[in-house]
Amino acid sequence: MFQIISAIVLRRLLLAIPTLLLLSLVVFVVLRMLPVDPLAMLLPASATAADAAALRQQLGFDKPIPQQFLIWLWKAVNGNLGSSINFRQPVVQLMLAAVPATLELTLTGLLLALVISVPGGVLAFVLHQRRHEAAADLIVALMQSIPSFLWSLLLILAFGVFWPVLPFSGRVGDGVTLPDITGFALVDLLLVGRFEAWLSAVSHLLLPALALALGFAPLVIRVLRSSLIDAANEPYVEVARLRGLSETRILWRHMLKNASLPTITMIGVQFGFLFGGALLVEMIFGFPGVGNLMVQAVKGNDLPLIQGIALIFCVLMLVITVIVDVLYAVLNPRLRTL
Amino acid sequence: MMTGPLHFSADPHDADVQLALEDPARRRMILGSLAAGVGALMPWKLARAEALDKSALSIAYPVDVPTWDPNALSIPTIQNLYQSVFDSPLRYSPQLTLQPRQVTEWKWADDKATRLEISLRDDIVFHDGTRLTMDDVKFSLADRGKADKKLIVGGMLNTVSDIEVISPTKGVIVFNRPTPAAPIYLAFLAAYVVPKAYMERVGPEGFNAKPIGAGPYQMVEHLRGSRIVLEAFDKYWGGSPSIRQVVFQIVPEASARVALIESGRVGLATQLPMREVQRLAQKTGIVTKVYPFSSVYMIRIPSYVTPMDNDHVRSAMHLAIDKAALSKAFYGGVAKPLSVMTPEGTPSYVADFNYSFDKTKALAELNAAGFGPSNPVSFTLLSTNGVFPNDYDLARAIAGMWKTVGINASIEETTPAKLIEAAQNGKLTGPLLYSWANSTGDPENYAGRIFDPRLRFSTWKDMSLSPRIDALMTEVDEGKRMAGYKQLNVESSQKSWAIPLLQAVETVAYSSTLEPTLFGNGYILPAEFKYR
Repeated sequence: MFQIISAIVLRRLLLAIPTLLLLSLVVFVVLRMLPVDPLAMLLPASATAADAAALRQQLGFDKPIPQQFLIWLWKAVNGNLGSSINFRQPVVQLMLAAVPATLELTLTGLLLALVISVPGGVLAFVLHQRRHEAAADLIVALMQSIPSFLWSLLLILAFGVFWPVLPFSGRVGDGVTLPDITGFALVDLLLVGRFEAWLSAVSHLLLPALALALGFAPLVIRVLRSSLIDAANEPYVEVARLRGLSETRILWRHMLKNASLPTITMIGVQFGFLFGGALLVEMIFGFPGVGNLMVQAVKGNDLPLIQGIALIFCVLMLVITVIVDVLYAVLNPRLRTL
Repeated sequence: MMTGPLHFSADPHDADVQLALEDPARRRMILGSLAAGVGALMPWKLARAEALDKSALSIAYPVDVPTWDPNALSIPTIQNLYQSVFDSPLRYSPQLTLQPRQVTEWKWADDKATRLEISLRDDIVFHDGTRLTMDDVKFSLADRGKADKKLIVGGMLNTVSDIEVISPTKGVIVFNRPTPAAPIYLAFLAAYVVPKAYMERVGPEGFNAKPIGAGPYQMVEHLRGSRIVLEAFDKYWGGSPSIRQVVFQIVPEASARVALIESGRVGLATQLPMREVQRLAQKTGIVTKVYPFSSVYMIRIPSYVTPMDNDHVRSAMHLAIDKAALSKAFYGGVAKPLSVMTPEGTPSYVADFNYSFDKTKALAELNAAGFGPSNPVSFTLLSTNGVFPNDYDLARAIAGMWKTVGINASIEETTPAKLIEAAQNGKLTGPLLYSWANSTGDPENYAGRIFDPRLRFSTWKDMSLSPRIDALMTEVDEGKRMAGYKQLNVESSQKSWAIPLLQAVETVAYSSTLEPTLFGNGYILPAEFKYR
């Protein structure tokens, strides 16, 4: 098994190099071709054309695009993604602070989505062709029609204003400082043994993660339900019944395992959806992640930062693809071939 | 604090439980245990508004600080934080009069306004305990801007050629041309004093990570995009602030800021939508204020876009706008209609000049340009959405007013970055609805900048205005300077080189236990707050 997993990871890593190169090139060229001037926000109102030219030269924006790209690439390979125009900080430094927060948020959102959608998908399957199927479909359709940012506002109103039991701003409460170990607040606070601060971080994570989860769960519910309906017609289910297994056991031990394969694929493919959702959710909840950073970068035409975020996003998606491939191999013996 | 009934389920057939619940003593014990259990499992109950801590204040704030180098940027909305951490050489009072701060005295050493003598307080210390001296002033306001063109301070003080250091507390700011309005720039954007030795030791990146100023608060934590924690500085020359800790919670979404103040989780929230301010005003324990300040809502006109080069079209645009109706509809009548490019109470305001709404005259002007309701003139009106209260709604209403006289404006939503970029590159596609910030109230930063055609940022590119603006910027006689700007204000309005609309309004909601000082330039400075 270890060999198979290693082979999958290695194959994906080899594929990742040209993928990253191509994506970097596309993003770089597209950003430079857009009619945006990163100097606009840098210069004072009194700046002359000569000042603008001098600054353009200082930042290297006067060079031809291919040359700019090669300079950027060489620096990127050496771990330098340039400096943010707005924040006057290295892009890598900004990303190192923001990526763990977003990962923590999206992974918690994914976990909550699974907590909602696995029982939800099973329930939707159980209700298939029964009296309450229409009601279940309606609920799922309603959930699906509400985007994450609207869930955010609804959750803030529900649990922040009308029944104020959960915080909805920031990553931890006032007075709680985060140790700087891994960047993952939940991990770091446990590592230093600050349980009360850890609970504060959990409570701050709940609403934004739930907003993401509620936008994502209906997709999983629908796919899981369809997969279970397909699985119900498979011969192994009949065999299991003939062996005298209970319907519950057949569903949870056999059908669910097989139905999980398309669901995992869908989750892998749609994980980018969670990142996309995090963009607005982070802004609404004042959550210091990549989404929040991206909004500010786009607002300020901060090309180096946008470029860096696009690259990190691509890396994350490649990592997720590897994880999905590995899970596939673990769950499906037929795929365990090199 | 809101509380709700405690709900729990128990099996009604469980005789033991029923019995227990019927016994008051045991019921209290069971309910108490349950409540304790729930409390232990739900630490986020702390999320509720807690007993008021009068030494701390949380503020729901819409924008983050991009960099802690205060000489680098000129973003008006972050000046509250820079003022809190760095203080400033001079500062405008709530009533917009220039007052001493770090600089106690300033006077011209010549009659040409090229040498400004300044005296510093001798008790100013930075947050690292070192003394603020004239060397730091020279480094921050003269040397840095010259060495690095990316620092806005060089552009804001672009006529400064040097600062001569006479002693640790005395110096002369030398200008390369007469700059009679120079003192206002010591209370304006980017003119903050940073510690020279520390900046040189740690560099801009190190400074950004751990900024040191000489203001009433020290920055102790910055979670980018989330919160900024400031703590009172005991050695501040003006005395330590009464509110010891201030947390700026960065909440770009206005509805989330409303929810934070409504749920009592912050003591103050700024830049709220008008309709929400009106709703919050009905709540007990919350005070709301909608007040005009020194910024101006206007339509800026790019002279290089057809048909903006047509005098009659511009006059028709101006005449067809009912400014009082706009103020009433979107700002509760608080935003004062303006006929000139400066608010009432500022030195170049022209009280006896009134540019009135007149639909008949607008029709006549448009007719003179060859247009009318049956043959409308068409162009794009650029507008932001959510940058200042009701901006996009304002644009739609103006387009509606124009339509009735034969001006067909299609609204294009844009962002400040795009607007600035298009203006700087001379690529605006139409007039733009804009909020012009000027915390000084001085006309040099209104008409002087708006109509200077040489500035990359200007939109009205009439080069014949250059000598006139130059003359005003170098006029040392204050009376003549103001008279000149008043004349420019009237003429620019009459000829509609830009269309002044309304004095901007600031919206704020705060706990009734708080006593904030609200400044006429929109500043929100926690050092000036106290609790009742």
